[in-house]
Amino acid sequence: MGLEIGLLAGPAIIVFVLFVIVPVFVALYYGFFSWKGYGPATDFVGLANYKWTLTNKDFWDSVLHTGLIAVLSLLFQGPLAILLALLLNQKMRGRSLIRVLIFVPYVISEAIVGIGFSLMLQDAGAVNGLLHKLGVDQTISWISSPKVAIWTLMFIITWKYIGFAVILMLAGLQGIPEELSEAAAIDGASYWQIQRHIMLPLLTPTIKIWAFLSLIGSMQLFDLVYIIWGQYIAATAGTSTMAYFMAQNGRLSGQLGRGSAIAIIVFIISLIVSLGYQRFVLNRDTEGALTDKK
Amino acid sequence: MRSSLKTVAVSAVIAMAMSGLAACSTPTGTESSNAPGTDAQSTAAPAAVTMTFWHNGTGDKSLAYWDQVIKDFTAKYPNVTITPQAVQNEDFDGKLQAAMQANTTPDIFLQRGGGKMADMVKGGQVMDITDVVSAATKTAYGEGVFAAYTTGGKIYGMPAALTPEGIFYSKDLFDQAGITATPTDIASLNAAVDKLKAAGIAPISLGAKDAWPAAHWYYQFSLRECSQAVVDAFIAGSTDLSDPCWKKAVQDVADLNATNPWNQGFLTTSAQTGAGSSAGLLANHQASMELMGAWEPGVLGGLTEDQEIPADLQLFPFPAVAGGQGDPSAMMAGLDGYSCKKDAPQACVDFLNFLAEKPQQEGYATAYGSLPASKDATGAVTEPSLKSLLTGFQNAKYVVLWFDTSLGQDAGNGLNQAIVNLLAGQMTVDQTMAAIQSAVKSV
Amino acid sequence: MSAITAEPKETRHYRRESKSGGWGSPIVYFVALCMIAITIAPVLYIILGGFRSNSQITTDPAAFPNPWMVENYATVLKMPLFWRMMWNSTYIALITALAVVVLGVMASFVLARYKFKGRNAMYMLFASGMMFPLAVAITPLYIMITKSPLAGTSWGVILPQIAFSLPQTIIILVPFLAAIPMEIEEAATVDGCSRLGFFGRMVIPLSMPGVITVGILSFVGSWNSYMLPLYMFASEEQYTLPRGVAMFSSNHSQDTAQVLAFTTLSMIPALIFFSIFERRIVGGLTGAVKG
Repeated sequence: MGLEIGLLAGPAIIVFVLFVIVPVFVALYYGFFSWKGYGPATDFVGLANYKWTLTNKDFWDSVLHTGLIAVLSLLFQGPLAILLALLLNQKMRGRSLIRVLIFVPYVISEAIVGIGFSLMLQDAGAVNGLLHKLGVDQTISWISSPKVAIWTLMFIITWKYIGFAVILMLAGLQGIPEELSEAAAIDGASYWQIQRHIMLPLLTPTIKIWAFLSLIGSMQLFDLVYIIWGQYIAATAGTSTMAYFMAQNGRLSGQLGRGSAIAIIVFIISLIVSLGYQRFVLNRDTEGALTDKK
Repeated sequence: MRSSLKTVAVSAVIAMAMSGLAACSTPTGTESSNAPGTDAQSTAAPAAVTMTFWHNGTGDKSLAYWDQVIKDFTAKYPNVTITPQAVQNEDFDGKLQAAMQANTTPDIFLQRGGGKMADMVKGGQVMDITDVVSAATKTAYGEGVFAAYTTGGKIYGMPAALTPEGIFYSKDLFDQAGITATPTDIASLNAAVDKLKAAGIAPISLGAKDAWPAAHWYYQFSLRECSQAVVDAFIAGSTDLSDPCWKKAVQDVADLNATNPWNQGFLTTSAQTGAGSSAGLLANHQASMELMGAWEPGVLGGLTEDQEIPADLQLFPFPAVAGGQGDPSAMMAGLDGYSCKKDAPQACVDFLNFLAEKPQQEGYATAYGSLPASKDATGAVTEPSLKSLLTGFQNAKYVVLWFDTSLGQDAGNGLNQAIVNLLAGQMTVDQTMAAIQSAVKSV
Repeated sequence: MSAITAEPKETRHYRRESKSGGWGSPIVYFVALCMIAITIAPVLYIILGGFRSNSQITTDPAAFPNPWMVENYATVLKMPLFWRMMWNSTYIALITALAVVVLGVMASFVLARYKFKGRNAMYMLFASGMMFPLAVAITPLYIMITKSPLAGTSWGVILPQIAFSLPQTIIILVPFLAAIPMEIEEAATVDGCSRLGFFGRMVIPLSMPGVITVGILSFVGSWNSYMLPLYMFASEEQYTLPRGVAMFSSNHSQDTAQVLAFTTLSMIPALIFFSIFERRIVGGLTGAVKG
C-alpha cells in the first residue's frame, strides 16, 4: 500500500514541493543579500532588505490598496453574484446563453482586459466619447486621476471576476435538493421567502469558499495593474498592490535580493490572512471534505 | 554597497565636451583599407565562429541596418556567423539579466553604460576591451566618449550613438500660436506656454507613465541650477544633496507644473508607444513641445501616418534659469553602445571595431535617427532638429550622463518616481526633495 | 409540478435544464439584460474596434464600424508570429491541463480513498499552496528557473503552472472521489480488482465531471497566464498570447484598430473552449462545493 501511495501521490508531491515550497526557502535565503542577479550573491546584508521594505511608505500604501481591493471585492461581488445566481437559477428562456455570456470576462486574460480598458478609458477614449454624446461635458481621467483610478480598478475587477462568483454560486444552488424549495412552495412560501430562508442558508458554505478564493485572488492581483498603469506610476495613481510593489522594487529594479525579501513579507501577510480566514470562517467546510466520509 | 558607487559614478561623466566633437576633420581610412583589430583575414582558414547578438532595433529601418551590417561584416570575416535578435527595448534589461543568470549571455549586446554596466562588470559578465579598441576607433571617437563605458579604469563597451537632449517643437504650432522666437529662459518658456494655451494647443507633451521623461525635467533644471562642480561631485558618487540648488530645481519643476503646461492625462501617457504617447502627440501636432533625447526624430517618424519625420520639427536647447549656477550651454546626454560578454570570441571585438567605422556609424545614425559617436560620421546628420542638437553638443561647455543611468537602475527609479509624485500633486516640494535624497542614499 | 418524480439523483440538474421552457418575470429579464449589456459592451468594443479604421476610432471613439473593414483581421491572420504565439499558448495550456488532471486525480485518489498516517498532513500541504500564490513566489521561482536547465524552455512555465494548479485541483477532486460509495469499491474488490484496478475502471469514469472542471480551469488559467511568461520567456518566439498581445499593443499602438483585431483573435479560442464546456463546469463545481 505504501508503494501505491508513493506511486500515485509521489509525482504531485514532488512537483508541488519543488515549485511551490522550495521557492519559499530560496526567497528566504536571497532575502538576506543585496543581489542584482548578474553574478553569485555575495553581498550579505542581514535584514537590510526587510528594513527597507517595512519602512517604505509605498509598501504600506500597496498593502492598504490590496486590503481595500480585497474588502471591496467581497462587498461588491458577493451580494451581486448571489442575486444573479438566484436569478439565473430560475427557469427562463435563454438561461444557458446568459450564463455563458456572464462568464465571458472571466475567460478573457487580464492582459486583454487591461489593454481593452486602457484604450476605452483614455481621456479621448470610447467611454468619454460616449459620455460626450450623452451630453456630459466633462472629460474624466478615469485611469490617470489618483482620486478616480482605484474606483476604475475596482469596476474592472468586479466586471472581470463576477462571472466566476456567479458560476460558483450557481453550482452551489444546484447542489441544494430541489425538493426543499418545492416543499416550501407547497406550504405557501413566496419566491423570495424561499430564497431568503432556504436557499441562502444552504448556500453559505459556497459563499465562504468563494470569499476565500476571492481573498486569495486579491492578494495576488498584479496583471491588471501592471498592464494598465505600467511599471512606474501605479503607486502615484493609488492602485499599486503588494504583488506589483514586489515586481516593481524587485526584478524590475534589478534587485532580486530585495524582491525575495518582499516576497517573504507578502507571504507572511497572505498566510496570516488565509489562516485567520480558515480558522474563523472556513474551518468546518474544508475539513468536511476529508472528515465526513470515513 | 556604497563603495561600488564610486567606481560607477566616476565613469559616468562624459568628459568629452569642448575638445570632443569640435575637431571633426581627422582623416581616417575607409573600411576596406583599414581592417581594425587583428588581421584575421591574413591567416589561412580560421576556425568557424558563431556569435549571438542582441540589440533593441525592432523598427524596420534598424532591422534592415543590422542585416546589412552583419552581411558586410561576414563578407569580410567569412568564418564568422552572427545570429542577431531584436529585443523590445522595455524587455531588454530583464531578458539580459535572465540570460546572465542562466549563462546564456549573448556574445554581443546593447550596453548603456553607467551604474548598470558596473553591476554587470562586478558580476563578471562583460569583456574588458581596453586594449583591443583599435587605434583608428580611438582617434575617430576621442577618448572622452568612452568615459561612460569605463569603470575601474577599464573600458567595457563600444559607444555607437550619442543622445544629447533638448526641447523638440513643432514650428507650425509655434507659428499658429504667434510665437516668434524660441524660449531662451523660463520666463519666455512660460510665455510660450500661455500663448499656446490661448491658441487651444497642448503646450508640452509628457510621457509620465514611463517616469523618466518626467524626471528629465528635473535633471535639466538641476543642470541649470547647480554649478558644474556640484554636478560633477554628484556624478562622482556624492550622496550629499544639501546644496540648495538641488531643491531649487525641484521648486522649478513644481513652478512649471503649476502652470499646467502638459497634455491632458500626462500621468498615464507613455513616452514612445503609439499615437497616444507623448511622442505621438508631438508627431501628430496634438502637442507642440517635448523634452527628449536625440532619438526623438526617429521615434516621431514611426508614429506619423506617413511614417515620415514631421517637416516642421525643430529644436531649442533647454532654457536658462535665472540665477542658476550651471553653464547655460551644458547638456545632458546618454549613449548607446555595445559590449562583448566576458569570454566572447575575438570576432566580437572585431565586430565592435567594425561598428565604429565610418560607414557603419553613418548607417547607425541614419537608421536610429541619432547622433553618431564617431566624429567622422557626423556628416550623416541631416535632419534639422538633430543638426541643431549636434551644434549644441559641439559647443557645450560640459556634458553630463542621465542621472538615472549613472545612479543605476534602482536609485534611478526612486529618483524618477519622486518627480512623478511631485507632478501628480502627491508630494510637496519638501517631500520630493526628501524622497530624492533617500533614493540617492540607498545606492 | 412535474410528472417525473423518480429520476435517479445524478441526472437531477439536467432535468432542471430541460424544464426551462417557461418565461420568467419581466424584471428578471430586465436585470439580466442590463447585466449582459455591461458585461458584453467592453468585449464588443474590442471586437468591433477591429473592424474599424484608425481614423474612425480617432474621430469618434464610441461608434459602430462604418464602413466595416476586414483588413485588420486579415493582416493579423497573415502574421507568422501570431500563429506562433497561438501554437505556444495551445500546447502549453494542453500540457498543463493534462498534467494537472493526471497528477491531481492520482493524488486526490490517495487522499480520498486511502487511510494512512500523514494523510491529513498531506492534504494540508497541498491546501497551504492556496495561501502562497504564484504572484508571491515568482521572484524566487525566477531565480531558481534561470539557474536551472529549464531556463528559456517552455517547461520553465509549464511546471510551475502545474504545481500552482494542484491545490485547487485537489480541493475540487477530493470530495468527488470521496463521494464514491464504499460499496462500489467493495464490489470491485470482490470481483478481483485491486485498488489500482478499481482506480482505473471505476474512479476515473465516476469523477469525470470534476476532472473536466479542473482540466478546463487549468487550461484557461494557463491560456491567460501573464506573469510567469513575463518573467520566464525572453524571446518573442516563445511568447504566449497574453504576453504577445501586450507586446503587439506597445509595438503597434499607433495602430489601435489592429491591436484590437489582434486582441480579439487571441481571446477567441478560450471563449469557444469555455462555451462548449460551461455547463459541465457548473456540474463539476457542484460536486466540489457540496463539501
